Amino acid sequence: MADRVERLTNLLALLLETIEPLALTQIVAELDGQYSGSDASIRQAFERDKAALRSIGVPIDTIVHEGTELAGQTRYRIDRGRYELADLELEADEMRALQVAVATTRPSGGRDALWKLGGALDDDRAAVTAVLPDHPELPTFRAAVASRSLVEFGYGGERRSVEPWGVLLRGGFWYLVGFDHLRGAKRTFRVDRIDGAASVGEPGGFERPADFDPRDAFPRDPKQIGHASDDGFEALVRIDRVRAAAVEREVGSDCVEARSDDGSIEVRVPATNLPAFRSWVLGLTTHAVVLEPDEVRRDLLDWLARSIDDEAVRR
Amino acid sequence: MSGPASAADRLQRLLVMLPWLMERGEVPLGEVAERFEMSTDAVVSELELVAMCGLPPYVDEMVDVFVDDGLVFVGVPRLFTRALRLTAPEGFSLLAAGRAAMELPGADVNGPLARGLQKLSVALADDAGPGGSGGGGADDTAGVAIDLERPPHADAITDAVPDGIELSIAYYSPATDETSTRSIVPRRVFVDGGHWYVDADDDRSGERRTFRIDRIESAEATGRIDEPEPTLDEPPSGEVSFFDDPALPRAVLRIGPSAAWILDQYPYDEVRDLSRPRRWREVRLPIASERWLARLVVRLGPDVKVIEPASLAEAAERLAREIVANY
Repeated sequence: MADRVERLTNLLALLLETIEPLALTQIVAELDGQYSGSDASIRQAFERDKAALRSIGVPIDTIVHEGTELAGQTRYRIDRGRYELADLELEADEMRALQVAVATTRPSGGRDALWKLGGALDDDRAAVTAVLPDHPELPTFRAAVASRSLVEFGYGGERRSVEPWGVLLRGGFWYLVGFDHLRGAKRTFRVDRIDGAASVGEPGGFERPADFDPRDAFPRDPKQIGHASDDGFEALVRIDRVRAAAVEREVGSDCVEARSDDGSIEVRVPATNLPAFRSWVLGLTTHAVVLEPDEVRRDLLDWLARSIDDEAVRR
Repeated sequence: MSGPASAADRLQRLLVMLPWLMERGEVPLGEVAERFEMSTDAVVSELELVAMCGLPPYVDEMVDVFVDDGLVFVGVPRLFTRALRLTAPEGFSLLAAGRAAMELPGADVNGPLARGLQKLSVALADDAGPGGSGGGGADDTAGVAIDLERPPHADAITDAVPDGIELSIAYYSPATDETSTRSIVPRRVFVDGGHWYVDADDDRSGERRTFRIDRIESAEATGRIDEPEPTLDEPPSGEVSFFDDPALPRAVLRIGPSAAWILDQYPYDEVRDLSRPRRWREVRLPIASERWLARLVVRLGPDVKVIEPASLAEAAERLAREIVANY
């Protein structure tokens, strides 16, 4: 029996070359003798071949025509325009830079993508390597962003229908940012928390706001999450010498209100999201003291008291 | 090629090999094999197979390719002159790799990578078909943005790697809750799980240690140089295996729903749901240092209960008292 790759190659060539879509009976006749056996086994072999071609990304169109001698039969062809990779017209240095980028992160599928573009994996050791988390839905979401297709998926026990505006990697996690129809508002979803596979709607299903940029999708500072950054509820915190430099770098020098000879600083930081603020201050242990406002001081002391009083901890 | 590949995988490889060969016309067999990670025998048998392909009445005439005397020749290109378009995963991988690399030290916003990514973004946006409205607007990311949050000293530390420049650093350790000064020679910089790390030879311990770069508070060259050995090229593991050490002591905590984030942040051995309190869970995790875990327990406050060891509960309470004493 001939190698299946030969039959696949011939089938691919036939569907690329044909002008009119071909029905299975025509395909079998053209590929003289390569499909054989009963009608059922021919159909089965053809379906397997079609699935194999689609699995490597070959776009096979199916058309059901009416009113011809083949009425009702499904016919097949491959649109060369959608099959062939457009020439990216990459300069040599641009290709090399992409090769280095792939060597830096080693994403799955990166090597095959470079091959298609005429490049190859660059074995030079990259100066810095980065491990990007992988998730099977990411390519689907990106493609849905590009085609403006609604996506639907399970999240937190609910079915969400979302206009995908972009995906963002930050803090080691991928996020999908978009307009959530269930909530009627812009929402951010952790991609690794999506339940099962997402389903994708028709292209052109929504308009994305012109000024949207996924990098601004949510505040960098968790102390502001859940709130607009300008509804400023702030706290003044003294940071001792040990952590002063690191905190100043984190919050920025603009936030430093005072500096003391002992090396400590006073910083003004957002406290709108009280749990996030508390977690941040307590992470600095004895190196940070909340100076004002009083209600934040009281909240923090109350929280600490519950860590000390074992009965309260036990609930 | 390792192991038997499926017909689809073999065809896929042929479909990238053929356009490349057609453009070159004549390529040494060894080069083809190396580039496509196959044995020379496999290259020959795959090319012979494809040379036999063809549709009646033009059998054998579809792809004009033959191998002779260690050279692959391709004649008049007919079919398969262009590669198959990128699949969704391939397009995503290239974009993500490129965007990540743009976040690394030395990336040039006007450099070749940025230009290459721009071309790729346009091509992938065009892929969207009639419904796609392309890029445009403030977003030049083609839907994929990456923010690696590069810490301030990452550039200086990365620059020190090629020549083995020794740096004097102030390093904050959450394990001891103190800042120490030490000299390190950076050997490898990597990003994983949202953090930047450097593997470096550490003068204090006399060992190679992994440091979190965001905890490096200052870094200055000492003037000494310890060039890297060329043999040090072990493949990057990308993993911080520190917590995997079975010798580390373990703690058992019960955590409420608002403390569930620690499961994302820290490695643990096991976690199970509790019947009550509702939505609480019990987690067993390695203790890098008791001081570090006590800090975590104080942050979580009423959302956590220490089951064991008892010493941890005491350490957390002691730390809470120390903090209160500041007020």
